[in-house]
Amino acid sequence: MEKTSTTVGRILMVEDDPKDVELTLTALEDYNLANEVVVTRDGEQALDYLYCRGEYKMRSRENPAVMLLDLKLPKVDGMEVLKQIKADPNLSMIPVVVLTSSREEKDMVASYKLGVNAYVVKPVDFHEFVNAIKELGIFWAVINEPPPGSIRK
Amino acid sequence: MTAVALGFALLGYRYQFHDVEVPLFLLAIALTAWYAGPRPTVLALALSIVLFDYFFTEPRFTLYVRSSDVPYLVIFICFASLVAWFSAVRRRVETALVRARDDLQAEVAERTQQASLLDLTHDTIFVRLMNDMITYWNRGAQQLYGWTAQEAIGKHSQQLFQTIYPVPVEDVRAELLRTGRWEGELRKRKADGTEVVVASRWSLRRDEQDRPLAILETNNDITGRKRREQEIQDLNRELEKRSTELEATNKELEAFAYSVSHDLRAPLRHVSGYSELLQKKSASVLDDKGNRYIAMIVDSAKHMGNLIDDLLSFSRIGRAEARKAPVSLTQLAKEALNEVRPETEGRNVVWKIGDLPDLYGDRSMMRLVLVNLLSNAVKFTRTRAQAEIEIGCASATGEECVVFVRDNGVGFDMKYVNKLFGVFQRLHQASEFEGTGIGLATVQRVIHRHGGRVWAEGAVDKGATFYFSTPALKG
Repeated sequence: MEKTSTTVGRILMVEDDPKDVELTLTALEDYNLANEVVVTRDGEQALDYLYCRGEYKMRSRENPAVMLLDLKLPKVDGMEVLKQIKADPNLSMIPVVVLTSSREEKDMVASYKLGVNAYVVKPVDFHEFVNAIKELGIFWAVINEPPPGSIRK
Repeated sequence: MTAVALGFALLGYRYQFHDVEVPLFLLAIALTAWYAGPRPTVLALALSIVLFDYFFTEPRFTLYVRSSDVPYLVIFICFASLVAWFSAVRRRVETALVRARDDLQAEVAERTQQASLLDLTHDTIFVRLMNDMITYWNRGAQQLYGWTAQEAIGKHSQQLFQTIYPVPVEDVRAELLRTGRWEGELRKRKADGTEVVVASRWSLRRDEQDRPLAILETNNDITGRKRREQEIQDLNRELEKRSTELEATNKELEAFAYSVSHDLRAPLRHVSGYSELLQKKSASVLDDKGNRYIAMIVDSAKHMGNLIDDLLSFSRIGRAEARKAPVSLTQLAKEALNEVRPETEGRNVVWKIGDLPDLYGDRSMMRLVLVNLLSNAVKFTRTRAQAEIEIGCASATGEECVVFVRDNGVGFDMKYVNKLFGVFQRLHQASEFEGTGIGLATVQRVIHRHGGRVWAEGAVDKGATFYFSTPALKG
């Protein structure tokens, strides 16, 4: 499964839990979107990817079509990543979907205040989870027209 | 008076006493001028001249005036004028004296009245000279401190009171001399030795030369107020401490709830997810038992997810601040009904919604109450061919309104009514009716936070009615 994650893809996933990564990729497989996913494991890595620095220095300079962002992350947390992206004119247009376990209202309010494009609570029920991920993937990576400068198929 | 003088003069003349007539007439004029005023004096003068001329100057018994008589006339007139002038001065002085006396009397009366007025007040008032000696002591002072005026007047106030000043007494004096007044709280000793705290106001009195003369001091006993202030302060400190502790506990609880929300759900999702994946991949190689086990795992994970969600919303009600505003229950009932409607799919449910009042409360919390109650009603009428669920207003007084949700479901035994609203308390087996046992506890918590009550009536197989009351919307 790990092999499916690439260094270039339309979907940037920021998720530290390998099981969640696997389950998400499984859900996206059905629509052949799994190989479009770039996985970063913490906030710092995600920012490195977006700014094409560190291990991502060599990647093509296009933005992902959507970013799936967990909030609870090692090093730089999701809220901080969101804040930095939305404050940077080059990155602020990237659609960001917060995908989290937290149903806490304050997280939701804070995310929307920072300009998040969608806020999805990961359902405990696997069917619901798979459906949610599939719909997210389809909508943002296929149906939605991404902003200029995004990676296209 | 002139007639009397004439009588005496004639009498003297008769007894050969010559030369008494002039002094006698002068005396008469003088007496008239002194006592009777200017007009009688002129009359007396004229009469004296005429009578003197008539009786005592040659030729006698005529009004003929010889030139030798003129000096007598001049003397009479000069003398009369002099005496009249003296008399006028005397009168003026006398009048002034009388007026001064009257003024003095009036002032004495006024002062006496003022002094007795000062005695009437309950405020403590006393006056002391600059050397601290007490010169005035009203009844309020006697009542507060216990010394009579006789005992206090003449004493040194510092010796009497043993006053404790909040600032050096020199500063107090300096401010008094500079501004003419001073205000502050003083501790003083009473006659019985106990201490009293007074709000003290000093006013400086100066003489005509602007020299400090005396200090008028009024005192109000604030011992009780001080004690209460101290008590309130102590209580506030205690409250502050408790509130800080509570805040810390609340923060801890919030952190706990947050980690429950986030960290507990993740592994649960994985259990559920991997079980499903296992089922998908290996359904063909597993026997029925194996498939059932996986189904059980999935089911349990789902149930635990629901439990966590319900517990979190229950704990959130305790933590979150209630944002109260006027709420239309009719509107809320409609929303709640829409939310539970999917659960009634394929069933025959008759809804009866009566007139509902507006009330004052937190909208989302009250919505949770109605959703929970309606959802319960739907759940426990599942075994009925036709479910009947009614929501209405049982009574609405000016003080509170009582809302009920009634169903014709399986009901409950009144024996266990006190268990209904407890957390994790369930009156039905999970195999009969699923549930987490948190719904009614949440209802109770919300209603209690709104200052209302919840209660229920029911009988086994005869349906149940849940009531809640909330303070009525005023105005």
